[in-house]
Amino acid sequence: MKKRYLLHTPDGEHRAVVARRGDQLAVQLDDGALRDVDAAVVHNGRALSLRIGNRVHLVHLSVAGPRGEVTATLLGQPLEMTVLDELHALALGAADPAAGGGIVAAEIPGLVIEIRVREGQAVKRGEPVVVLEAMKMQNELAAPCDGVVASVPAQAGRTVNAGDTLVVITPAPG
Amino acid sequence: MTVAGRLPFDKVLVANRGEIAVRLIRGLRELGLHTVAVYSEVDRAAAHVLLAHEAYPIGPAPAAESYLRGERLIEVARSAGAGAIHPGYGFLSENAGFARACEAAGLVFIGPRPDTIELMGNKLAARRRMRASGVPVIPGTDEAVRDAAAAGRAAAEIGYPVLLKAAAGGGGKGMRVVRDPADIAAALRQTMGEAKSAFGDDAVFVERYVEDPKHIEVQVLGDGEGRALHLFERECSVQRRHQKLIEESPSPSLTPALRAEICAAAVRTAESVAYRGAGTVEFVLSPAGEFFFLEMNTRLQVEHPVTEMVTGIDLVRAQLDVAGGRGLRLRQDEIAQRGWAIEFRICAENPRRNFAPSVGEITALMEPAGPGVRVDSGIAEGCRVPIHYDPLLAKLIVWGEDRPRALARARRALEEYILHGPIHNIPFHLWAIDQPSFRDGSYTTRFIEACFDPATFAPPLAPDDQEALLAAGALFEAARRMAGTLAGGPEYVTGAPGRECAPSNWRRAALRRMTGRD
Repeated sequence: MKKRYLLHTPDGEHRAVVARRGDQLAVQLDDGALRDVDAAVVHNGRALSLRIGNRVHLVHLSVAGPRGEVTATLLGQPLEMTVLDELHALALGAADPAAGGGIVAAEIPGLVIEIRVREGQAVKRGEPVVVLEAMKMQNELAAPCDGVVASVPAQAGRTVNAGDTLVVITPAPG
Repeated sequence: MTVAGRLPFDKVLVANRGEIAVRLIRGLRELGLHTVAVYSEVDRAAAHVLLAHEAYPIGPAPAAESYLRGERLIEVARSAGAGAIHPGYGFLSENAGFARACEAAGLVFIGPRPDTIELMGNKLAARRRMRASGVPVIPGTDEAVRDAAAAGRAAAEIGYPVLLKAAAGGGGKGMRVVRDPADIAAALRQTMGEAKSAFGDDAVFVERYVEDPKHIEVQVLGDGEGRALHLFERECSVQRRHQKLIEESPSPSLTPALRAEICAAAVRTAESVAYRGAGTVEFVLSPAGEFFFLEMNTRLQVEHPVTEMVTGIDLVRAQLDVAGGRGLRLRQDEIAQRGWAIEFRICAENPRRNFAPSVGEITALMEPAGPGVRVDSGIAEGCRVPIHYDPLLAKLIVWGEDRPRALARARRALEEYILHGPIHNIPFHLWAIDQPSFRDGSYTTRFIEACFDPATFAPPLAPDDQEALLAAGALFEAARRMAGTLAGGPEYVTGAPGRECAPSNWRRAALRRMTGRD
């Protein structure tokens, strides 16, 4: 058995291969080697104890969110990822600008206070593009990548729901 | 005989929510008192409600329609037969009108007298009073400045840079730095406008702006009759937009002589107003080693556990002693700092997205434990973090015999923390304790501004730990799809799994099959 996956994380994309030879599981990440993995389910199915090489890792896992994001936590560091099998990822890739990382969306409901960019404007990763008010504070949302603003669905003075797209950026190539 | 038997009330209403309500209910129960919780519509099954003896609804989710409705809270207290109200922090804890209304209704307000709350809530009045009591205050005007000319004269005398501050402000709001005389007129106009709309009072005064200070505060207890004690200091310089994130005691920056001076000034502050109950006197410490009174917080503070861990004194119990007429049951020479404590505020904020708040259901929660680890938490698995209140979920406080051991324990405890659902700031704390200026104690209130960059912030995980996370994600997903196939459900077909927070039996079975283990 060999399954290929695409993992979307905040830091980029990774490829994974999960293989099974008899009783032995193996995992390959990106261009790394296929390594034997010893895995045990613990904490009532909520965590995996993984032995890779000589190191043991206890990873807590849960799934939630509109796109079935998996949250995996190790040593206090959570990693949110969307895991897609390769065929599915290819089908989505063309249609979903999020796969290229250019969407700025509201994470929680709020009020759009200020829009700092307009269509056609070049932006840099980390540059604030929208100011939202929520939970008694104003929050600046930043461009997730270098690129050019393709469209600005958000309107100042309007409330938005979680998941609403505010700014779409066409990522710069490279 | 319990302490409760010696107090003039046996039932207390906790007028708050979240972690502080849990802390207060625990403290009150330990004293043998009956506890009453209140809840808004979204807090019906919140942790603090489940811990109390009785609970009553107080309105819809927005704070203004629930936790801030003083008359409703008093009505509930009276009909429940409560003899006292504990306001916690935030909400109505520093509302003199509410304190007066409690007393008028025959309820004990567990806190200072209403006129003390009023005095310290007015920054100008507090400054004047402190100056008169011989407590060092930041050079500045004692009256509001009404026009640009007055502001300009004051600033010239004090020396630039100056800070324009709303007299009725607090928590870092209603302030503006002016470095150039040419900017003072516009800055005054803007600050007065903001003060009027935010606090209903456009009184603004001018103060010297202390660049790059450290924030040092002293915990005090007063018996209400002129005697006060201090429980030493806390340093709270790790702040973002004047919201504290990390606090520690002792402060790594104080010599014994400076510590004695600052604590004595805090006691003088409390005694000058015959302070009643628990309070905190806040100071700024300039790079040159001068300290100045900033403000006094007339309530129990978020970071009070740091002082409890280092002095061994239960501050909620001390509050109840004073409120119940038993006075201060401590002597200054009995109070000492032992070891080192550090608190980390666990907030539903995403450090990568400039600390944008996050909400959602808590799908997994495992709080750290072990020696020297305390977690004051208001959350539980399965509960939802609502948008209506501030993002503080819990506090992690660690204690060690010295600062290096406390830091090592902090790392260990933060690494044990599992919190899935809302995005949280634990990776920020892991990053912060590794920074050179935090480790050597030289950090100032500019720490986050100077050292933290959300765009390049990356959790400091070793490469094979990072790989383990990805591998686990892939394995988990592989098992989930296998479970989907077995169940024949829409999960597999559409690839859109929808919501699922507890593992299904199918997925457990698939994971076991896949790993060949039980």
